[in-house]
Amino acid sequence: MVMGDVATGTDVLVIGGGPGGYVAAIRAAQRDLDVTLVEKDAYGGTCLNHGCIPSKAFITAADVAHDAGNAEAMGIHADPAVDMAGMAAWKDDVVTQLTSGVEKLCKANGVHLIEGTAAFKDDHTARIAHAGDGQGMESVEFEDCIIATGSRPIQIPGFPFADEHVWASKDALAAEAVPDELVVVGAGYIGMELSTMFAKVGADVTVVEMLDAALPAYEDDVTRIVRSRAEDLGVDFRFGEGASEWGEAGDGIEVVTETDEGETSTYGADKVLVAVGREPVTDTLELDAIDLEPDADGVLATDDRARTDLDHVYAVGDVAGEPMLAHKASAEGIVAAETIAGEPAALDHQAIPAAVFTDPEIGTVGMTESEATEAGFDPVVGEMPMRASGRALTMNESDGFVRLVGDEETGFLLGAQVVAPEASELIAEIGLAIELGATVEDVVGTIHTHPTLSEATMEAAENAMEQAIHTLNR
Amino acid sequence: MPIKEFALPDVGEGVAEGELVTWLVEAGERVEEDQPIAEVETDKAMVEIPSAYDGVVSELRAEEGEMVPVGDVFVVFETDEDDGATPTADEAVAPDPDDGATDPAVPEGRVFAPPRVRRLARDRGVDLGGLAGSGPGGRITESDVEAAAVGSGAETDDAPRDGGDDGTAVADPSANGTGASVESGAVDRTDPAPSGDGMDRDRTLAMPATRALARQDGVAIDAVPASQERDGEAFVTPEDVRTYADSGGEVTPEGAALPTASAADPSAEPGASSSRDEGPTPATDEAATDEASGPRPGDRIPYTGIRRTIGDRMAESKFTAPHVSHHDEVDVTDLVETRNRLKEVAADSGVSLTYLPFAIKAVVAGLKAEPYMNSELDEDAEEIVLHDEYHIGIAVATEAGLMVPVVENADRKGLLEIAREVQDLASRARNRTISVEELQGSTFTITNLGAVGGEHASPIINYPEAGILALGEIKEKPAVHEGEVVPRHILTISASVDHRIVDGAIAARFTNELKQYLHDPDLLLLE
Repeated sequence: MVMGDVATGTDVLVIGGGPGGYVAAIRAAQRDLDVTLVEKDAYGGTCLNHGCIPSKAFITAADVAHDAGNAEAMGIHADPAVDMAGMAAWKDDVVTQLTSGVEKLCKANGVHLIEGTAAFKDDHTARIAHAGDGQGMESVEFEDCIIATGSRPIQIPGFPFADEHVWASKDALAAEAVPDELVVVGAGYIGMELSTMFAKVGADVTVVEMLDAALPAYEDDVTRIVRSRAEDLGVDFRFGEGASEWGEAGDGIEVVTETDEGETSTYGADKVLVAVGREPVTDTLELDAIDLEPDADGVLATDDRARTDLDHVYAVGDVAGEPMLAHKASAEGIVAAETIAGEPAALDHQAIPAAVFTDPEIGTVGMTESEATEAGFDPVVGEMPMRASGRALTMNESDGFVRLVGDEETGFLLGAQVVAPEASELIAEIGLAIELGATVEDVVGTIHTHPTLSEATMEAAENAMEQAIHTLNR
Repeated sequence: MPIKEFALPDVGEGVAEGELVTWLVEAGERVEEDQPIAEVETDKAMVEIPSAYDGVVSELRAEEGEMVPVGDVFVVFETDEDDGATPTADEAVAPDPDDGATDPAVPEGRVFAPPRVRRLARDRGVDLGGLAGSGPGGRITESDVEAAAVGSGAETDDAPRDGGDDGTAVADPSANGTGASVESGAVDRTDPAPSGDGMDRDRTLAMPATRALARQDGVAIDAVPASQERDGEAFVTPEDVRTYADSGGEVTPEGAALPTASAADPSAEPGASSSRDEGPTPATDEAATDEASGPRPGDRIPYTGIRRTIGDRMAESKFTAPHVSHHDEVDVTDLVETRNRLKEVAADSGVSLTYLPFAIKAVVAGLKAEPYMNSELDEDAEEIVLHDEYHIGIAVATEAGLMVPVVENADRKGLLEIAREVQDLASRARNRTISVEELQGSTFTITNLGAVGGEHASPIINYPEAGILALGEIKEKPAVHEGEVVPRHILTISASVDHRIVDGAIAARFTNELKQYLHDPDLLLLE
């Protein structure tokens, strides 16, 4: 023991206070376990501080500005001025409210909070370097440990985030001014969300993507709608190009891209946002001390209890691999905590929903038609275009559709793809239906409020049974 | 194991469909050939459908309450034809990939069960992948899991506190096997009841869910007094368990055996509450049973099955045949004496002689005198059909509702024979082992409200018959006999007739005719 060390003991040590860690800590405390949560930066993790929440605040604000300025068809003539600093202040208020809420919840549930960075010393001891220089060390002995250290954005060669012109998503979400020109590297969900948002508040956005499509994880007819809306907003897509280098040019910068064939292009910009993915954070943990090793992707492999190769060490959230989603992290955190408490929990969820907050939004859950076929089902598909939805028309947002995938033989719902306003909300109903083992007919037999977007889900189910009322059954 | 589909067999002449009232087995349960698997209710009778195979129930294709057409597949078995060896743990658990073609369930790795059911399965150590669900489309329900857990005797230990071994055991429950390989009716393995004055059987028949309930309530199923018997074995119902558990495990066998007593008592004593000294009437028994387990005020009772059939029949009768009722009373003092005298003779033959056989003989005499009373209207042919047979229906109150077994050719049978038949029919109607054929073909019906009490009624005709006779209670009343007012045994009778084919005068003459025989039973000697 080092001089100045304070040694404490705890049942459960949780490393990381994001949606995986703080949820695990609270659930474990609810189960009468003594819980210590270590957070190096800010409670709520990336999601609350630098990810989901600030981005959604910005996206909503940008929507308000953009919609107000583009509502001539509805008889509204306005030219809103965007004060990015004011927008950021409001966003910061939202974030503070949520993160302080997390801290209060942890305390109210009796979770012992330590600000610092934890590293393993041996199988049942971690050493915590308190946040802030010269604040000392602390040893914590634990029975079980839940690693919830999250992820960080991947850097590409030549684009160090340390440079003020190179933004990670976190920097973009801390922007105090709208860049006139923005180059976004990567057309994944972060790149698409932020491109759309900055375009709406007046930035001239170019998206550079090595692959040949935006949101390559989604089906073509899903991404087509989102990409085409982004293009309408002035976003310029450059597919098949990788960012190779950048340099200062006048007041701004130049970003150079290269195709597979070696053709280069140069784009002027004020900032370059690099959003090419995220990698798990394990390097601070000194995993050697417990003989644990991440796999080739840097991920801590876990079983269906969120347990690593060590029986008493769990990993939840981004550090445990894809999909890197806050709600998946929370679900894993709960399973880890309940397993430690001796309950029969497991990660046996039928489907993990996902949402992309583009315009319109994308919400997906479960299988696509081709995934269902691959899994051995005989899928039946039903669709409802939003242009046939009364509510969508009254929102002046009629792009997109709701698509349900069911099993022909049994009628069980297998998945859904929704491109629509509020798709992120619409998907919740379908997720519940899938989780409960509901059939397409169950959805048909559920009365949906009129006039709402959710009626489209019922209509899609009707369409799957070839009996839709408001569309032709093809 | 080969997959065998099992269609609803023909359960009676002219019966096209039956309501699946109760599953006696659950998916995943092992059954033997001839073991009852379901109770199916046809027009009037409850029929038990026996399994045609030895094997495991893999799929229940009908839900309780569903109408199943005869000939429709309603259950699927995995039969063990190549019966040579008992299945190994591996066979019992792991779905053989080669079996995929015959497996009606979903593709591998996908389980259709809601989260709480999946959690329960982990808790019980049940592998959902090996379960056929009984819910819609094969969705796995809580009871499927409970059944499999009971069937496999899976441990219910808490999930792991200290990691590894326990956890993997849950993930891979093959150690216990989930083949639900325990025969229904096998000895329960739970610990003995905590306390109580219960039974101490070696074997108890009970549904898996009942066993689960017993475990939950901490009572040993072998200690629970059984209210029913199946194939001579004690059969415990969920109500039995609850009653036993609620009483702290101190239900006396007598107390819980009420329904059995009621079933054993051959309905008996029609027309005669005056003979209460001979034991409890069925009505009292049923009342007691109801109090224990029956519906409570505020419940909503499904209008299905026999209740609904009765309702439909009554409505059809009342709305088709314009009823007219004729009331009368008759001095049966001599009949009471005669019956009391003959009762002991009958008892020597093991027959409980009630008033009903006398009434049947009297009715037959009345029907012979007034042929229109033993007729029906054939509306299609626009003809009144006068029957030349005397099949007398006997309305019997059962727990499920009114049933009308038939004493065929009552004109050709003696009192004792009729008495024996009535006793048998009524008893089997009550315990629902009566066949559909025995409930069909009556030409005239007698209903007996006297067993409960009361005088006159306006009985509804058992359509398409032309008439029905209701017997009231035999009471001692002041009556004018040989010029003096003296106490006499008086029977009230009410007849309803289909006024389309029978006029009031005929009903009155019919009543007069049968009154003679009830008043002076010696006349029956001349029949």
